[in-house]
Amino acid sequence: MIFNTDVALQNAVNGLLIGGTYATVSLGFSLVWGILNIVNLAHGAFVMLGAYETYWLFTLYHVDPLASLPLTAAALFALGYPIQRYVINLVIRASFLVTFLLTFGLELLINSGRSLLLGPVVLPLVRVATFAVAVAVAILLHLLLTRTRLGSAIRATASDQEAARLMGIPIAHVYALTFGIAAATAAIAGGLISLSFPIYPAMDAGYTFIGFVVCALGGLGSVPGALLGGVILGLLQTYTAAWLGPNYDNLVAFAVLILILLLRPAGLLGRVQRFRG
Amino acid sequence: MTPAGLEGVLRAEHLDAGYGSVQVLWDVSLEVRRGEVVALIGPNGAGKSTLLRVVSGLLRPRRGAVTFDGREITRRTPEEIVRLGIAHVPQGRRLFPDLTVAENLMLGAYARADRAQVAGDLDRVLALFPVLRERLALPAIQLSGGEQQMAALGRALMARPRLLLIDEPSLGLGPIVVQALMEVIGDLRRGGTSVLLVEQDVGVALAHADRGYVLETGRITLTDRAEALLGHAAIRAAYLGLAVGDVGRPGSQDR
Repeated sequence: MIFNTDVALQNAVNGLLIGGTYATVSLGFSLVWGILNIVNLAHGAFVMLGAYETYWLFTLYHVDPLASLPLTAAALFALGYPIQRYVINLVIRASFLVTFLLTFGLELLINSGRSLLLGPVVLPLVRVATFAVAVAVAILLHLLLTRTRLGSAIRATASDQEAARLMGIPIAHVYALTFGIAAATAAIAGGLISLSFPIYPAMDAGYTFIGFVVCALGGLGSVPGALLGGVILGLLQTYTAAWLGPNYDNLVAFAVLILILLLRPAGLLGRVQRFRG
Repeated sequence: MTPAGLEGVLRAEHLDAGYGSVQVLWDVSLEVRRGEVVALIGPNGAGKSTLLRVVSGLLRPRRGAVTFDGREITRRTPEEIVRLGIAHVPQGRRLFPDLTVAENLMLGAYARADRAQVAGDLDRVLALFPVLRERLALPAIQLSGGEQQMAALGRALMARPRLLLIDEPSLGLGPIVVQALMEVIGDLRRGGTSVLLVEQDVGVALAHADRGYVLETGRITLTDRAEALLGHAAIRAAYLGLAVGDVGRPGSQDR
């Protein structure tokens, strides 16, 4: 049974499709970590909020989940921008631990606020459409970062804050925009997840974790890296679950992660570039 | 409105500045007039780069004032100051290594309100540094040292500054490239741009400047016309190696 080609192919398809969603979960996490140098522990909470927003828009107003994604993304951008601008920016020059704790606090805050609304819900599977949206979001984000004035300002700020200020780039605003964009992509991921998977208030920690793993796999702040890392994690988990049983999916995923980090500490598509001298 | 006669004029008055508990600048005053190239020379660690950082807003002075165009800019942010017409080419060039040469140059114009004219300015910069045209699509990290310095200067020019602050342009470059850079600086001066030039190579700096200031351990110790400084006994001894004497403090890091 293990070597049944139909099953193996089905696993490949399943793994690939879930990988797209993982990639979307991780895009924003990677962006915030790679550019703002913040490990945003509240990222999974943004994913959860996006999932619930999609669910309620569907349940209460019968808005098609895919059609509601732009709305959900806009709402989470509107939440993310002020959080970065007026909360996280205050401690941006403090130590790593401070931003770590702050985002953890945000995570607890959002999560406890959410626990009023409950219910494990499984909506009809439209995983192919989900994957298409995931890839489209990744491509759009990549184009934003590489083809626009704002994108080059974001990347310039990430590589050298002080030189970016000398260009006249308002870095506090750029940081907040980046965080808002990350929250928006998290919302899209949540909306997509709500289409195929159960959603529940405690889902956030698991998705923050996925963001973390995919980002480390693919390389920090890299859109192609998030896509590649997401697909690899999806395939690994699906195959492991099918062959060794569902309890082992994370075991193999993490074994591979450790192996990749040993061989390529910057992730598969990550680069560490500095001028010499 | 700019007060008459003060357009493009930089004045630093009685500046004290430093980092943490370390004071680097002590009562520093300096002036750059319109269309003038002023050299700021002195040993490593004297505070030359610190003075440029105060002017461009990266570092707030503890005391004193900086005015440009007759307007006080002491408490303004770098983002505001570049919009007022001061561009800073920092030490070590500070290009964005992963970004292409074209992106680096275009970011120089980030603060410009007149976006329509930016394309024309890019052509002008590429005419000044033709070698950059073939490198536009490359990440900046792949440029040679001389090309990096040209890209950094070109990026600053994209802001259409009326005052350029240039920190150690000759560092690590061969004499032919340095000569080419100095000629560009000369052209800029003829075009009415004022330049404040920090340069380790005192001979090169004074040969291309109108006036010079000598900064030693955070204080201005001497100022004069460039030719006069070139002939000054203490300068010849300390910086040009033309007489026996101290050649600064090798190995210490300039701040």
